[in-house]
Amino acid sequence: MQPLAVLSYTTTSAAGLGKAATARALREERSGLAPNDLPWAPLECWIGRVVAAESVALPEALGAFDCRNNRLALLALEQDGFLEAVAAARARLGAGRIAVFLGTSTSGILSTELAYQGRDPATGSLPAAFRYDTVHNLDATTEFVRRVLGLAGPAMTISTACSSSAKVFCLAERFIRQGLADAAVVGGVDSLCHTTLYGFSALQLVAPDICRPFDTARRGLTIGEAAGFALLERGAGALQLMGYGETSDAHHMSAPHPEGDGARRAMLEALERARLAARQIDYINLHGTATPANDRAEGRAVHGIFGTGTPCSSTKGVTGHTLGAAGITEAAIALLSLEHDFQPGSPTTREVDPETQCAFTPHGQARKLGRVMSNSFGFGGNNCALVFGKGA
Amino acid sequence: MRIAIEAVGVLAPGLPDWDSTQAVLAGRQRFASAPLAACAPASLPPAERRRSSPTVRLAIAAAEQALQRTAIPPQDMALVFSSPEAAGVITHQLCEVLAGSREVSPTQFHNSVHNAPSGYYSIAMSAKLGATSVCRGPWSFAAGLLGAAVQALCDDVPVLYVCYDSPLPAPLSDVMPVLEATVIALVIAPRPAAATLAAWRLAVAPAEGDVAWPGWMPGAWRANASARGFGALATLSGGAGASAALPLSTELNVQVARC
Repeated sequence: MQPLAVLSYTTTSAAGLGKAATARALREERSGLAPNDLPWAPLECWIGRVVAAESVALPEALGAFDCRNNRLALLALEQDGFLEAVAAARARLGAGRIAVFLGTSTSGILSTELAYQGRDPATGSLPAAFRYDTVHNLDATTEFVRRVLGLAGPAMTISTACSSSAKVFCLAERFIRQGLADAAVVGGVDSLCHTTLYGFSALQLVAPDICRPFDTARRGLTIGEAAGFALLERGAGALQLMGYGETSDAHHMSAPHPEGDGARRAMLEALERARLAARQIDYINLHGTATPANDRAEGRAVHGIFGTGTPCSSTKGVTGHTLGAAGITEAAIALLSLEHDFQPGSPTTREVDPETQCAFTPHGQARKLGRVMSNSFGFGGNNCALVFGKGA
Repeated sequence: MRIAIEAVGVLAPGLPDWDSTQAVLAGRQRFASAPLAACAPASLPPAERRRSSPTVRLAIAAAEQALQRTAIPPQDMALVFSSPEAAGVITHQLCEVLAGSREVSPTQFHNSVHNAPSGYYSIAMSAKLGATSVCRGPWSFAAGLLGAAVQALCDDVPVLYVCYDSPLPAPLSDVMPVLEATVIALVIAPRPAAATLAAWRLAVAPAEGDVAWPGWMPGAWRANASARGFGALATLSGGAGASAALPLSTELNVQVARC
């Protein structure tokens, strides 16, 4: 495919608000995760909470959209000059020529969970003030962001669990290639809620302590919240989307294919679209959730293609697993690694599982990086691999 | 953009398949509502059928209809599924449990993801290409159709497109009033072949006022994003040049013209 320029991007998670804070956390090998202190979900685990998002005030005209997810979205939009970059593109291209594609797994479902706690005991009805369409519907944040940015091009939400906000890059490339848009704002937002905290706990996939990707003693994931965005435009740029691959495992709803077959095919497809050989990838940001099965399957798939020649790591120990926002969070980390020529490590990993065959590299290092891959896999056996690189 | 429609599947109360739908759309038969039989998709292994949600079974049953009308193997198709609220009854059950004991069942949790229908389908059919699950609220039919069309054309691959609404229980139905199920499944190809039903030209255009709903359609279905697809299906009963507008946002429509 013809590369797409990444004109601007931003990421906000427990690791930091914006790119500089995130880059610092990665360089200093500092985790943003902390023991769970949510008064409304007293589970024994760690979380990646963005406290600053909780007090964000939405513009009055968009008050109907107020919920944890949209507050987090707005906080992220305000970082790194992203609003200004979109405004400049809008002035140049026209609001109708810029699409908005966001990923989420649970949108503002926390508001519905709270509304269910407040049901009328006699009638069972939800509180009168509760709005479904602007807070909980999976498209609520996409519509909110579209209005904040003043864009009028095609928009939609992709919700494929933990690959959601990686797949928006693929959709944007196709829309731009078919001439339906000249540019696209892509990204994702997912926020802490009962559904994912208690749901992943029910599946026994949440670690009691901090997550430790690819560690011998890994015991599961740490859930985090995050929001991130990227502005893509037709043509070459200093940073570019170079390829992508999308596949299905067709194996199991909530467990990966044991050999990582779908993951392997997604990575191969991404390399093919980018017209790159495996040895031309300098670093892989793994999905690396730190569940025993996920890491094993992904490690095998990566080793099958890259052998031990390509350093890889998971940054989930820094940001947590941000679910529907994991794709954009790690796309942003991949872009940061290119911009700073810094290969991030996995600071919570103490001893790399000796079963691991791929070149898992727990410590970060300064290194010239030209092309990097980012993996995102989700429930339903839904896989996506992205390739980013520096332009000429 | 020009795409080819290879096959159609339909499920709604009174419209159990594409043949009966076509008769209503062409004016050969009056629409008469009739309860929709419980869906038991043959392709779902018994364990998956038991574990899956009603929405999953509904979407897959309509997809199976479309598959029976095309020679393209399901393994060769990419998937685009679209729904304004795919979890529906599962969301209700989860929120009820979370407001009480908080003892969520693992199956309930994995069924709550928006892409559960495409996930189960991919397992049932060994469909290993990409699967995308879209939501665009009331505009989900047009958004998903565009997503399917750009994928068919860019990747030069047939795409199974399924858009569905599944009834919601109270009190969710008070805030999202989907009361009856409607599903439309389309097999889309990047270019016409011998068995193609019709070619569609798709374009995004500014919306001029509200798009009218078909006169025959029950009023209750106006809450269903997927029911917008009946406007597009009507062009398959018309001649060349038959067209329909599908709302994509407050400002935009997707114009579908048979060509």
